[in-house]
Amino acid sequence: MLTAAKLDTLQAVELAEGVEIRLRVAGPMLRIGAYAIDLAIRGVVMTAASIGLAWSGMALGNRVAFGMLTLAGFLMEWFYPMVFEAGRRGATPGKRIVGLRVVQVTGSPLTLGQSLVRNLLRWVDGMPLFTYGFGMASCLATKRFQRLGDLAAGTVVIYERAPVLPRLAAPPPIAAVPLPVGLTADETRALVLFRERAGLWSVGRREEIANQASALSGASGAAGVSRLMAMAHWVQEKKHPADHDRKN
Amino acid sequence: MSVGDFEHKNQQRWAEYERLVDGLEKGRPGPEAGQLPRRFRELCVDLSLAEYRMYGERLTAQLNAQVIRGYELIYRNRRGGWEQVAEFVAVGFPQAVRREWRLFCLCNAVFWLPFLAVMISAGHDIQWVQAILGADGMASMDQMYGGKEDQIAHLRAEYGSNFMMFGHYIRNNVGIDFRIFAGGMAAGVGTLFFLFFNGLFMGAAAGYVNHACNPETFWTFVSGHAALELLGMVVAGMAGMRLGLALLRPGRLPRVRALSEAAKQALPLIIGAALLTTLAAAVEGFWSAQLLPSALKYGVGFAGWGLLLAYFTLAGRRAGHAP
Repeated sequence: MLTAAKLDTLQAVELAEGVEIRLRVAGPMLRIGAYAIDLAIRGVVMTAASIGLAWSGMALGNRVAFGMLTLAGFLMEWFYPMVFEAGRRGATPGKRIVGLRVVQVTGSPLTLGQSLVRNLLRWVDGMPLFTYGFGMASCLATKRFQRLGDLAAGTVVIYERAPVLPRLAAPPPIAAVPLPVGLTADETRALVLFRERAGLWSVGRREEIANQASALSGASGAAGVSRLMAMAHWVQEKKHPADHDRKN
Repeated sequence: MSVGDFEHKNQQRWAEYERLVDGLEKGRPGPEAGQLPRRFRELCVDLSLAEYRMYGERLTAQLNAQVIRGYELIYRNRRGGWEQVAEFVAVGFPQAVRREWRLFCLCNAVFWLPFLAVMISAGHDIQWVQAILGADGMASMDQMYGGKEDQIAHLRAEYGSNFMMFGHYIRNNVGIDFRIFAGGMAAGVGTLFFLFFNGLFMGAAAGYVNHACNPETFWTFVSGHAALELLGMVVAGMAGMRLGLALLRPGRLPRVRALSEAAKQALPLIIGAALLTTLAAAVEGFWSAQLLPSALKYGVGFAGWGLLLAYFTLAGRRAGHAP
C-alpha cells in the first residue's frame, strides 16, 4: 500500500499470519472530543462521590470522608484512562462513544504496562498549562498521530470499526477491456479505486480525473471514463485459474 | 473469479466466523470456540486473496475489520494474577533497581547533595534557607514543629485526621513521583529539576527546623517514612532518567524506538516507586504522628533504611533474571 501510506491515514501492519491488516489511525480532533467526554464523565463521578461522601461523612467522620475524596480524586486523575484502556475494550468510555480504541502499533491489544506508560506521560503531553500543546505538536509531527505518551508506549489510537462504505451506484461497465500495458500493483489499485469511487463524484469531476490517465485509456472526456471503467472491470472480473484448485 | 462469486462462495464461512467472534467478544464462547485459530487463518488467506485480486475497497475493508477482531481476540494478553504481583515485589523490582545502579547513584546524588548542602548551610548562614522557604514556608514549619514534641499528634487528635492525611499524602507524593517520571521526556531535564528542587526544599526545611524550631518533633515525625518516601522519589527519578537518556543517547536505535525500549525498562521502576510512596503515605498517615517514645521512632526509622537498602541489594538474587 505505497500510495495509501503516503496519502491516507491507513497504516499497514503485517501479521505473523502473512497477511497485511490496515489500521485506520485517528487524528487529534476526534480524540479531543473523546477527551472532553471523559472529562465530563470524571466530573460527574467526582460530583456524585462528593455528595455521597458528604452524606456518609456523618457516619464515617468528616475527615475520613475527605480523605476518601482526596483518594478518589487521585485515582480519577491518574488511573481512570489507564484502567479502561488496559481493559477488554482498549478504550475509555469517551473513546468508545466516539468510536476509537487504543492498540499497539502492531495492531494487537494494549498491555497493562503500555497503558501505564501512555497515561503517566499524559502529564507531559498536557503541558504547557494543561493545553495539551506538546501532545498536539507531537500528534501533528508524527505519521501516526502519536502523542509523546503514545511514542514511548508504542501505541496508536485507531477507529474501532471501519466506516461502512455506502454502496454507490457506479455507472455499470459496458464491457471488459483488457489492459493495453502491464501496470504496477499500485497503478492497478488506483484504477480499481477510480471505478469504486466514481459514484461519489459528479460527471465533470469524473472526466477531469480520467483525463489524467488519458495516456492509458487513449481517450479523453466521457469516452475516457467509460474506457477506464471497462479496464477496471476487466481487472476485477478476470478469471483466476488457481481458484479451481483451491478447496475450502 | 469475480467479486460476486468470491463473496458468494465464502459468505457462509464468514458468517460463521463472525458469529464465533461475536460470542467470544461478549465473553460467551460457544462450543466451537476452539476453531477460532483455524477460521482466523482462513480469513487471513481470504483477505490476502481479496487484496491481491483487487476485489475492491468494500470487500477488503470488511475482511480487514474481521481479521483485526480475530487478531485482537487471539493475541489478547492474559491478565497477571497475584503470583505476578508477588514475583514483581520479590524479584522483578529489586533486580530492576540493581540493573540501573548507575542511575541509582546519579539520582541519589542529585537529591542528597543539595539536601545536605542546604541543611548544613543553615548552621552557618540561615539566609539561604530563608530564601528557599520564604515567609509562608517558615510560618508553616513554625506551626508544625515550633513547640513541644507532641504538637503534630495534637493536630491529628480529631477523629479520622490520620486517614485524611493518608489520602493527602498519596495524592501529593505519588503524583510527584509520576511527574518526576514524566519529566524525563524533556531529555531528563524535568526529572533532574524535580529531584534537585525537592532536595533543596527538604534540605531547607530540615535546616530551618534545626535552626529555629524543635528538631526532636521534626525528626521523630519524619524518621518513620523518610526511607520509603525519599527512595521512592529517587527510584521514580531513575525511571525518568531512563527515558531521558534514551532521547539523549539512543545508541544504534532510532530515537522513537529507543524511547519505547526505555519505557519498557523504566516500567518496573515507576511501578515500584509508586508502591514505595504509597507505603510511605500509609506510614506517614498512621504511624509517624503517633505519640511514642523518640527512641522507638528513631529505631524504626533506622530499621526502615536498613531493610529497604537490604531489599534493594539482596532481594531476588537467587531467582536469576526476571522475565
